[in-house]
Amino acid sequence: MTTTLRPVPPRSQRAAGFGRLLRAEWTKFRSVPGWVAGMVAAVVVTVLVSLLAASGSGTDANDVPDLVTGPDGGLVADAFQFVHGPMTGDGSVTVRVTGQDASHDDAMAGLMIKDGTTPGSVYAALMVTPADGVRLRAMFDADVAGRDGVAPRWLRLVRSGTEVTGYESADGIDWAEVGTVDVPGLPETAELGVFVASPPDVRVERQAGSTSVGEVETIGRATFADLAVDADDAVAPERWSGTDVGRTGTGAVTIAGGVLTVTGSGDIGPDPPDDDPVQIGLFGAVVGLMVVIAVAVLFATSEYGRAMIRTTFAVTPRRGQVLAAKAIVIGGVTFVAGLVAAVTAVLLTRPLLRDAGFGPPAFPESSLFDGPVLRAVVGTAAMLAVVAVLALAAGILTRHSAGAITGVVLLVVLPILVASALPPGAAEWIMRLTPAGALAIQRTKDPTAGLVEPWAMVGPWAGFGMLCLYATVAMALAARSLRGRDT
Amino acid sequence: MSRVLRAEWTKLRTVPSTAWLVAAVIGLTLALGVAAVASVDTAHCPTPTTCAEDTARLSLTGVWLGQAAVAVLAVLAVTNEHASGLIRSTLAASPSRVRVLAGRLTVVTVTVVAAAALGVAGSVLAAAAILPSNGFTPAHGYAQLSLADGPTLRAAAGSVLYLGLVAVIGVAVATIVRGTAAALTAALTVLYAIPLLVRFVSDPGWQEQLQRWSPSSAGLTIQATTGLERLPIQPWAGLGVLAGYAFVTLVLAAALFHSRDAG
Repeated sequence: MTTTLRPVPPRSQRAAGFGRLLRAEWTKFRSVPGWVAGMVAAVVVTVLVSLLAASGSGTDANDVPDLVTGPDGGLVADAFQFVHGPMTGDGSVTVRVTGQDASHDDAMAGLMIKDGTTPGSVYAALMVTPADGVRLRAMFDADVAGRDGVAPRWLRLVRSGTEVTGYESADGIDWAEVGTVDVPGLPETAELGVFVASPPDVRVERQAGSTSVGEVETIGRATFADLAVDADDAVAPERWSGTDVGRTGTGAVTIAGGVLTVTGSGDIGPDPPDDDPVQIGLFGAVVGLMVVIAVAVLFATSEYGRAMIRTTFAVTPRRGQVLAAKAIVIGGVTFVAGLVAAVTAVLLTRPLLRDAGFGPPAFPESSLFDGPVLRAVVGTAAMLAVVAVLALAAGILTRHSAGAITGVVLLVVLPILVASALPPGAAEWIMRLTPAGALAIQRTKDPTAGLVEPWAMVGPWAGFGMLCLYATVAMALAARSLRGRDT
Repeated sequence: MSRVLRAEWTKLRTVPSTAWLVAAVIGLTLALGVAAVASVDTAHCPTPTTCAEDTARLSLTGVWLGQAAVAVLAVLAVTNEHASGLIRSTLAASPSRVRVLAGRLTVVTVTVVAAAALGVAGSVLAAAAILPSNGFTPAHGYAQLSLADGPTLRAAAGSVLYLGLVAVIGVAVATIVRGTAAALTAALTVLYAIPLLVRFVSDPGWQEQLQRWSPSSAGLTIQATTGLERLPIQPWAGLGVLAGYAFVTLVLAAALFHSRDAG
């Protein structure tokens, strides 16, 4: 074999050279029937397994008695102790929260204006918390952070039309505005008062494939003084009455020497079930992943098996560019295949899941283009593509199909199986540190420890970012080893 | 038959990857088992006596990892010969194909079972040493882990048999498919992807059926030593399900190996 030395081409020709390189790698990929068939198989397997997972799923979240729904139709928690009286029209109320028990990090004590005392009705509330500072919250989803600090604290709530503004002060002299929230639907005559709530502690236990979630009630207690209402038409605080909103059965109100002591438990905020029908509808990607890994590894190692790599590197001595072209081709092909699979799977599983109980109000209708759903669908395709790049790099590094396939499968899938058999603390670390956490990108809901799926404990971007980190490191190692060794 | 056995043994032990994979079966089983045991202590439970942890099963967690090395070893033992063309010489030397398959199966399975026995026994011994320092003591209601205990011995010996059956399935699937990547992907899908599906299907009825009939989920029930009444399938029956799959794939492999051209 003869070697021809050629001068390095100028920069403009190098760009064209990379285009040719991409086309060469694409031609290699599409001309091996087994690889194209593998990608098609990955799509089919993903859709079929997703359908199987959807058929095997069910929920009773909508069958619970006394479901509380918020203004947007979703499930909410709305339970607290309320000491209140009616106020008609605009006005303001001021109070000094003189003390609050640290019964829970997010225990609440403060002022509230609400459309009656029915759970789920619209409200705005200004509160102190033991760990989250002063907050102004409304409508179960708006949450404005004030300054840090705990009781004792002065609070003032001002109503103007449907707008409610909160102010807070450490000494009752220097006041700072927390923010303004809009409370559409707040009636002319609304209930105004002080409230105390304390969410339950959630305890999760995980043993060999089963997860049990227990809630332990916490009881919050706070003291209030210097209550003053400034309004044309309102009941004076001395004639307010106590209501145990949401019937927690733990509330109590006592007055002694001008100090009002209120105890209560419960939580106020969105309370959707942890189960995620979108994620169930994308579950097949875990099995499709296996095929993607095999194809991507072969795309790398088959060059060595047939010594094709010598020809490739003779044509393009820039080995780093060859690796980049390979990664773009396998990543791009996998992304397109993954997107087709994910969209098909979500659309086909949707009616099955609705019949299995995943419907409103516990699971509001969502469109494919809603932010979190879109993130889950595109994220599934991206996850498959990045795993393909990781597998390609592993193939280049090991030059051994069996080793690379097994290594990548173990890296991506085994942590899930191990984590689901370990207690939550260890499981969460495994999900944070391995590429398996990337499955979190398929979820459309907040992280939770209450599910059997261990990846639900990490956020979507944390998990996906860790996978990208692994792929980047593997690509860097592959590029280095390509430069440094014989073909 | 003894000549076939000796030939197969010579082929297996002279492939450099075999020694690595045998070491991996032992080492990986032991390493993950120790890591899993070390990461669990009674402090994560409300009280030390209410952990309800199946310590025997926990100590055998490493089988989840060791089975990958078993699958690779079994698949490569078959597909390497097809890839290199050595299979033609093998079949020319001993024309009885069923005998060749039986010889290969025996050599691979015996090797795997020997390695698995070391890895599993080591895992249990290591766990027995670690568990008491993590609070799993007789004072807290956890008996000292020991192979002399009937259920623990059954879980450990069953895990060795489980890995042996994984080797049988690996040889059979590789004989059917013949390509390394395809055979290995099929084996790893059965060992890892299907158990994921089984575990995360949320309908209890479906989950019970899938656990009862999926090869590796059913097979690994052999590791359970507590809460047996809640298992969807009893330990030996579960291992029997896996043995059933091994038998069916093996018969299919023998039929295809017998009737196909060497290649």
